[in-house]
Amino acid sequence: MSSSLNVNVGNVGLKSPIILASGTCNFGRELSEYYDLSILGGMSSKGLTIKPRAGNPGVRVAECDSGMLNSVGLQNPGVHYFIENDLDFMKESGAAVIVNVAGHSFEDYVDMVTTLAPHKDKIDALEINLSCPNVKAGCMTIGSDPEAIQAITSKLRSLTDLPLWIKLTPNVTDIKATALAAQAGGADAVVLINTLMGMRIDIRTRRPVLTNNTGGYSGPAVKPVAIRMVAECSRVLDIPIVGCGGIADYKDVIEFMIAGASAVEIGTACLVHPALPVKITEDLDKYCEDNKLQLKELTGTLQRW
Amino acid sequence: MAIKKEYKIKLVSKELLNADTCYLGFECPEIAGTAVPGQFVNISAGTMFLKRPFGIASVDKEKGTFNIGVKVVGKGTEQIKAFEVGTEVDCLGPLGNGFDFEGFDNVILTGGGTGVFPINFAYEELTRLGKKVTVCEGFRNAQQVILKKEGYVLTTDAGDVGIKGTVIAGLETLPIEDASKTLVCCVGPIPMMKAVSEWAAQKNMKCLVSMEQRMACGAGICLCCIVKVRDDGPDGYKNVRCCKEGPVFDSREVIWS
Repeated sequence: MSSSLNVNVGNVGLKSPIILASGTCNFGRELSEYYDLSILGGMSSKGLTIKPRAGNPGVRVAECDSGMLNSVGLQNPGVHYFIENDLDFMKESGAAVIVNVAGHSFEDYVDMVTTLAPHKDKIDALEINLSCPNVKAGCMTIGSDPEAIQAITSKLRSLTDLPLWIKLTPNVTDIKATALAAQAGGADAVVLINTLMGMRIDIRTRRPVLTNNTGGYSGPAVKPVAIRMVAECSRVLDIPIVGCGGIADYKDVIEFMIAGASAVEIGTACLVHPALPVKITEDLDKYCEDNKLQLKELTGTLQRW
Repeated sequence: MAIKKEYKIKLVSKELLNADTCYLGFECPEIAGTAVPGQFVNISAGTMFLKRPFGIASVDKEKGTFNIGVKVVGKGTEQIKAFEVGTEVDCLGPLGNGFDFEGFDNVILTGGGTGVFPINFAYEELTRLGKKVTVCEGFRNAQQVILKKEGYVLTTDAGDVGIKGTVIAGLETLPIEDASKTLVCCVGPIPMMKAVSEWAAQKNMKCLVSMEQRMACGAGICLCCIVKVRDDGPDGYKNVRCCKEGPVFDSREVIWS
């Protein structure tokens, strides 16, 4: 991998723009059986909460055209277990360590950041998940309200000097308003987008396929929505954007960067092809060589009509 | 260390077992050479987004091939059934834990539906190992009977072949010499596995069940395919991954819904 893939998200330097999206790589161990994780720019942990969570019961996945719905419901071992058992593994992988922080209330997020802050030598950024559609309280409820986003970001800002990336939900009328609120609260970057809320129904039983009734839609189908939101926010934000949503090949990465992303997260496509980031990295390398450019030069170069 | 990979595997044989079920052979020496009974593969299904999991039904290490059985239940399996010999598909595997027969002299294999495929692999492996193995399979009717071998005890709901009733009726006819040395392995629909695990518990036999759940990655990273199992923690249960900690579980651990 050449240095032409190096990018920066604020003051976080990444050797490549490829970050594994939260919830699609667990903590990296399983994927390390498929490839050397050090080729990655970063890895965003499974969404963590203060206490362990068993997640939602029953059926958690429903396939859709060009993607899938999931309703995992933040199943995770809890942040304390993570610090004891998984953080070192992530650090040693050689990819930047992004810790995804979830919660059900303002206080949960404060507890989480207070717990993680002392481990800042092992963490490159905290990704604050204000957008999970699969838990009943918190996350997306807070993430739909610009005032709440600004208040929580500003509070977390006062607790740590670790970079704060705010992961936002697309399930809002105006993504610019929520992104600007994160910026006003002192965020270092925004991550756009989390999953789109959806439902599938079994026409035989007339019941939703997912036991949680609804779930988050991800995969190639959501890419145009994500690209549009990155492009919209890129016009109004001063802080960097990490693009996420439906990336399945190197051209998708380039599209996101042109729209305004400084780095990208790949998720659902890796559930289908675990070693996909290896191929995308090779292709990006070749693209840079063929076009004699540094990848970061692409960020925000969209030429609107 | 990176040791696993996604394979491009070629369909080398195809046989129709009944109207909606086929038996497919794929070439992949790595999978054929390392798979154990109870493990599965996750293969791409034409234009569908996600792969589909199938229990391995047989391996031929010399030829470097393995078989799966596919019953058409939706758009994905419909496309897989339509594959022509020579078709190449993406495949992850072998996945999951598989059956552990260690410490048992006698093994009773039982199940139904598409469960007969992993049972077939287990039967072949146990026979190769020289263990005493008995097979009892349940079907709806005679037309549904597939992969039957000499000596199998069959049951049908219709009673048009074998014993009329569920697999429990068949299992009741089996002589059990030493329960502590007898292992029951069941692969089938949830109600059948639940009933068999209760039957085995009454007879003081250990029972392994191969669970099924809607799956996305098969690689243990998405946490979609959960199975609810007993746990000492405050909740009394935990959700574990069917694809990674399973698909085979000790039936005493499983919390049946």
